Amino acid sequence: MAVDTVRAPVELTAPARRTRSWAGLWFALPFLLIYVVFMIWPILAGLWSSLFNTSLAGGDVEFLGLSNYAEMARDGAVWDSLWNTVWFTILSTPPLVLVGLGMALLAHRARRTGWLLRFSFFMPFLLPVTVVALIWLWIYQSDFGLLNAAVAWFGGDPVAWINDERTAMWAVVICTLWWTVGFNFLLYLAALQGIPRELHEAAAVDGATPAQRLWRITLPLLRRTTGLILVLQLIASLKIFDQVYLLNEGNAGPITRPLIQYVYEQGFTSYRIGYASAISYLLFLIIILVAFAQFKIFPAGRDD
Amino acid sequence: MRTRLPLSLLGVALALLWLVPLAWAIDTSIKPEGETTRVPVTWIPDVFTLDAYRGVFAAGDLPMWLFNSAIVAGGVTVLTLAAASLAAYGFSRLDFPGKNWLFALVLAGIMVPPQALIVPLFHQMQTLGLVDTYWGMILPQLAAPVMVFILKKFFDGIPREYEQAAELDGASRLRMFWSVVLPMSRPVLAAVGVFTFVTAWNNFLWPFIVVSDPDLMTVPVGLGTVQSSYGLRYAEIMASTVIGGLPLVVVYAFLQRHVIRGVGDAGLKG
Amino acid sequence: MSAAACGVPSGNDRLRYWNLFGGGDGVRMVELIDAFAASRPDLDFQASTLAWGPPYYTKLSMASAGGRAPDVAILHLARLPSFAPGRLLDPFPPELLTEAGITPDRFLPEIWDRCVVDGQVYAIPLDTHPFVMYYNTELCEKLGLATANGDLIPLRGPDELIAAWAEAKKLTGGYGLVLDNFGVSPWRLWWTLYRQLNGDLLNPDATALVIDDAKALQALDFMRRLSVTDAVAPGQMLLSGAVALFGSSKAAFLFNGEWEVTTFQTQKTPFSMVPFPEVFPGTAGPGGIARTQADCHTFVLPHQRGRTVAGTRPAIDYVRFMLEHSVDWAAGGHVPAWLPATRSPDYLALDPQSRYRDAAAVAQLDPKAWFSGSASNMENLAGAAFGAVQAGTATPEAGLAQFKADLQRLIDTPAPV
Repeated sequence: MAVDTVRAPVELTAPARRTRSWAGLWFALPFLLIYVVFMIWPILAGLWSSLFNTSLAGGDVEFLGLSNYAEMARDGAVWDSLWNTVWFTILSTPPLVLVGLGMALLAHRARRTGWLLRFSFFMPFLLPVTVVALIWLWIYQSDFGLLNAAVAWFGGDPVAWINDERTAMWAVVICTLWWTVGFNFLLYLAALQGIPRELHEAAAVDGATPAQRLWRITLPLLRRTTGLILVLQLIASLKIFDQVYLLNEGNAGPITRPLIQYVYEQGFTSYRIGYASAISYLLFLIIILVAFAQFKIFPAGRDD
Repeated sequence: MRTRLPLSLLGVALALLWLVPLAWAIDTSIKPEGETTRVPVTWIPDVFTLDAYRGVFAAGDLPMWLFNSAIVAGGVTVLTLAAASLAAYGFSRLDFPGKNWLFALVLAGIMVPPQALIVPLFHQMQTLGLVDTYWGMILPQLAAPVMVFILKKFFDGIPREYEQAAELDGASRLRMFWSVVLPMSRPVLAAVGVFTFVTAWNNFLWPFIVVSDPDLMTVPVGLGTVQSSYGLRYAEIMASTVIGGLPLVVVYAFLQRHVIRGVGDAGLKG
Repeated sequence: MSAAACGVPSGNDRLRYWNLFGGGDGVRMVELIDAFAASRPDLDFQASTLAWGPPYYTKLSMASAGGRAPDVAILHLARLPSFAPGRLLDPFPPELLTEAGITPDRFLPEIWDRCVVDGQVYAIPLDTHPFVMYYNTELCEKLGLATANGDLIPLRGPDELIAAWAEAKKLTGGYGLVLDNFGVSPWRLWWTLYRQLNGDLLNPDATALVIDDAKALQALDFMRRLSVTDAVAPGQMLLSGAVALFGSSKAAFLFNGEWEVTTFQTQKTPFSMVPFPEVFPGTAGPGGIARTQADCHTFVLPHQRGRTVAGTRPAIDYVRFMLEHSVDWAAGGHVPAWLPATRSPDYLALDPQSRYRDAAAVAQLDPKAWFSGSASNMENLAGAAFGAVQAGTATPEAGLAQFKADLQRLIDTPAPV
């Protein structure tokens, strides 16, 4: 970089105060260009093509007005997959929060085994989702899988975990829990480390049992972290696609299909860019609303 | 304390349980193919073999995908750090027409879910001719407004006196940025860098959408798309997941604190 | 090798080929790919196998839409309309086809005709893969259903067939017949039965549903009899499970495509195969072969920006090589489309692969529409609706109503191609 040769003479004449000049724009420009081309523009272009019957295969486009949105309202598969997304959120959030909290409490008090616990709980979060999905597909495999071996050991009959509609969503939830709970564990662990030791010591002097200290001191002080985790979890769950797609690809079909997968199928498998864009905006709207709610409920959530 | 020992045991038990899936994958990968489908399942193989790993390397795809992942994750990390820190510096230190308005636009982008944009973004890539290219994978991942936000906040906290001293020595703005502010920002740059790298390395959805050519696929996309030339050979599939998952896990084992800080600090805001 | 193989101009030596063969046929494909690569060291040749079904077709469309698609790829013939010939597919240069001797007279006319759109050739057929019936020769001999040389005695009509499967069920103690009710298999079975009843589904330009409810229900009733009423077959079963049961002689009959030949040969299952039986007499073709669902694997040229005739030459060489090695390919189960191969003594000597070759002449492909064909939306929707009938969780009436509603939605959707 030509660091030495670039000068900003305007700045030299006014060393103390900032002056209004275009220099700052040059700093921001590379990012702004990328940002506009690859984020702002697609948002607008998508909104535009949702008014047409744009096709992946090209060809003439026809203006449809709002009829893509009208079709979306009538399309049961949109609402089924939105429900799958919501159902996944309902099933996965409690274990993701509680197990993450439990792990953090265990790791926080661990001494010699701390490294092992931190490694084991967080390591899956660093695996690519495909690796996670392939490992769990193998565990769920109905003939030779580890899980059915465990079921057989307890005297049960083999279960088609991925294909059976009674277990399919649980299979996704368990796989997701294993993969991502490490992140919540991390946030709780950081929060626990921020609680002053003196609080516990003072309570212990007053004769509080460990259980009382957990309920009366630790958990109330973690409330903010829990709120933050819940919101992050909610937004992440609404965007779920990867592991469901990889687990049910060609198998479970619509049983667990989340909304983004339906967008993917309509846009790319069925070429309906226009219609898929319209569905995208439903999701877009929901996530923006949740994010706004987050700002309302946790105004300082991004500032600590 | 009486409760300490049982709770330590519980912690270790949970940690071991959490290792079972990976251990099972490794265990399967060192068995001969014939032993993987044995019922009832066994943990200790009769024969220990690295055949599955040889098979995976002979097929040749995985080394190529690891290379592509390195290019894409490395490219995204370096370019994100460059573009976001320059922009953050501009927003933190300099005044220019439209600045507040532009920064508000960047802040608004933090809420935008890129997953909801796959269809219009792919359509745009078609127009730009970037489908099935490295740039097609890298460029959209650079549009990460939250990184600008994190870096700007950090820069805001650096006292201006350091730069004023440099300014008196006749340093340009770019020089102040490069040799005064950046060196003082190592921790936050490391956090942003680690988080960006981990995210880009593991990113599935966008590379999966924009790349169909197996020669250009990253590890997550290749493993999920290309039907094993190995067919239903579980040992080889598990060997490929072990190799595909290994790089970051090894880094984590050695640099636990850095990874935790990076993912925790930057990830919290992302 | 054809003459075209020699003197390839430099710069046109790259060949990228995609296919979706992950099963028993994939093993044959890899052997043939290796043989071609060995015969053409001058080419930078790479073959990729992608996951069968929607993942493969979605990737192929996206690559073609992006303009950097592979040079040549496999496509099911019934999927041709969904690939917008001319936009996602490039036509074969006629001069190269003539030069390579790939001419219409070397294929069945009804199949070749579907490869031509607006006077241009967009697909070269490799094979036809009919839905067939596998049977266990040892079990059938014990049941008195097979002659000493392993031939199955002719069975036709619903009652005769179900009686045979019921006997087989008593013998095995598990199932007489196995079939699966996931994915597209229920469609394959239903379309076979419905076409034996001579039912039609769509009008010629796929703008209206012309289904015959009585015939559709008759077909579904038979499917329900198999797994529910007469219970000679499982209701809930994955294809892998059905194949495993038949392979280990725990069932005497199997309905499936013909691509598991290699699987059962490897497992040393005592088996043979016949064309799908005539459940509903009246529409059988020459030789008494009953109509059966089928599709054809074809070679296509996915759309590339700036594809040239010279650059397409290696792809044609590869197609020609594969057609010439049709008999090796047929060993995996598929019926060759290349007529010179189907008449060759080597092919006729393949047992059981040549036993169902005549099914290709009565092959019932999906009706032409942008949403039909192997692994299409229509097949998957039918699979869900009819699979529930097989499982006994939906009545034939309910299954049919669901399928009709789903199909009507597809018909009403403005065609994106």
